[in-house]
Amino acid sequence: MTVEEQIRDIIARITRVDKSIITRQSTFKEIKADSLDVVQALVAVEETFGIEIPDEEAQKFQNFGDFVSYVENRVAQKEKV
Amino acid sequence: MSFEGKLALVTGSGRGIGRAIALKLASQGADIIVNFFRHRESAEQTAKDIQALGVKAEVIRANVGDPAKVDEIFDMIGNKFGHLDILISNAASGVGRPVADIDVKAWEWTMDINARALLLCAQRAAKLMEGRGGKIVSISSLGSRFVLPNYTVVGVSKAALEALTRYLAIELAPLNICVNAVAASAVETEALKFYFKEGLVKDSRYVTPVGRMVIPEDVANVVAFLCSEEAFMIRGQTIIVDGGTSVGLFALAGK
Ligand SMILES: NC(=O)c1ccc[n+]([C@@H]2O[C@H](COP(=O)([O-])OP(=O)(O)OC[C@H]3O[C@@H](n4cnc5c(N)ncnc54)[C@H](OP(=O)(O)O)[C@@H]3O)[C@@H](O)[C@H]2O)c1
Repeated sequence: MTVEEQIRDIIARITRVDKSIITRQSTFKEIKADSLDVVQALVAVEETFGIEIPDEEAQKFQNFGDFVSYVENRVAQKEKV
Repeated sequence: MSFEGKLALVTGSGRGIGRAIALKLASQGADIIVNFFRHRESAEQTAKDIQALGVKAEVIRANVGDPAKVDEIFDMIGNKFGHLDILISNAASGVGRPVADIDVKAWEWTMDINARALLLCAQRAAKLMEGRGGKIVSISSLGSRFVLPNYTVVGVSKAALEALTRYLAIELAPLNICVNAVAASAVETEALKFYFKEGLVKDSRYVTPVGRMVIPEDVANVVAFLCSEEAFMIRGQTIIVDGGTSVGLFALAGK
């Protein structure tokens, strides 16, 4: 599974929405994720990929695509090390 | 009061009241374990400020609502220091919602972080305090006994925290561990701004008979006292730090 697919699964599980509605353009609001869902999704993604996403960074995510890109970059950096 | 040579864990101490407590204990000589969850930068800054006071500071990230992460904190302390003198259960989270909108997820999240964490931390802390005694202080709020708007889950979690504080005080007394709580009214921090926006901040300022809001240092001062030998005979109590708000409400209502 790609990073994107894994994050989509995590968010769909937490917010209980059908994962087919989550596109790269979807905002957390459109996915009906409240602030608790967002924190839980961040924590689950952190644990899945063994990275840390500070709130300062997470606050910059405008949509699902930003979230995915950030994690992809972090995972790529990790693999380089 | 001196905490020289003592080791203190303050949960959620990167920012807000936890940070003020950590700095207060450090200013009296305690080495501090700074725990954070989402804001590493603040925690690192707090650790730097603590070190500048001439004591040790260790930063550890952990969601205290997750039992495995609580274990990680105490495994680290056990391995690195082998003991603990002071535990301040300060970290809290919560969902500000009316009763009708509280779902199981919001309930469990809040209860796990605000109430269960004290149980899990106290269990592990008591082991590290064995043979030397210790102090445990939990941080509560007036919402444990008074109704605040959209505060149900947090208020209930704080009531549980205070009840647990009483049970711990009795069960841990034979181990020479003093357990108490400090409950504050609205304190000027980010959390407050988040929960109540402008409205309550203004109201609180009005109903605080002292004429100003409670600040994090007010809470930290009482916590430090409860961690001192002077407070030895205070057990299982929740000390209210509210500038008289809770006893003065009705007196002020007529003004
Ligand atoms: N502010 C008030 O008006 C007020 C009034 C009465 C009582 N209190 C109590 O005082 C305590 C501190 O509140 P505050 O106002 O300083 O809050 P705050 O500014 O929101 O800070 C909360 C602190 O708790 C940490 N935290 C949150 N969830 C955590 C978790 N799951 N695991 C570990 N740490 C976690 C945060 O760390 P990160 O930032 O790293 O996530 C942060 O350091 C709480 O128990 C609160 O209920 C506050």
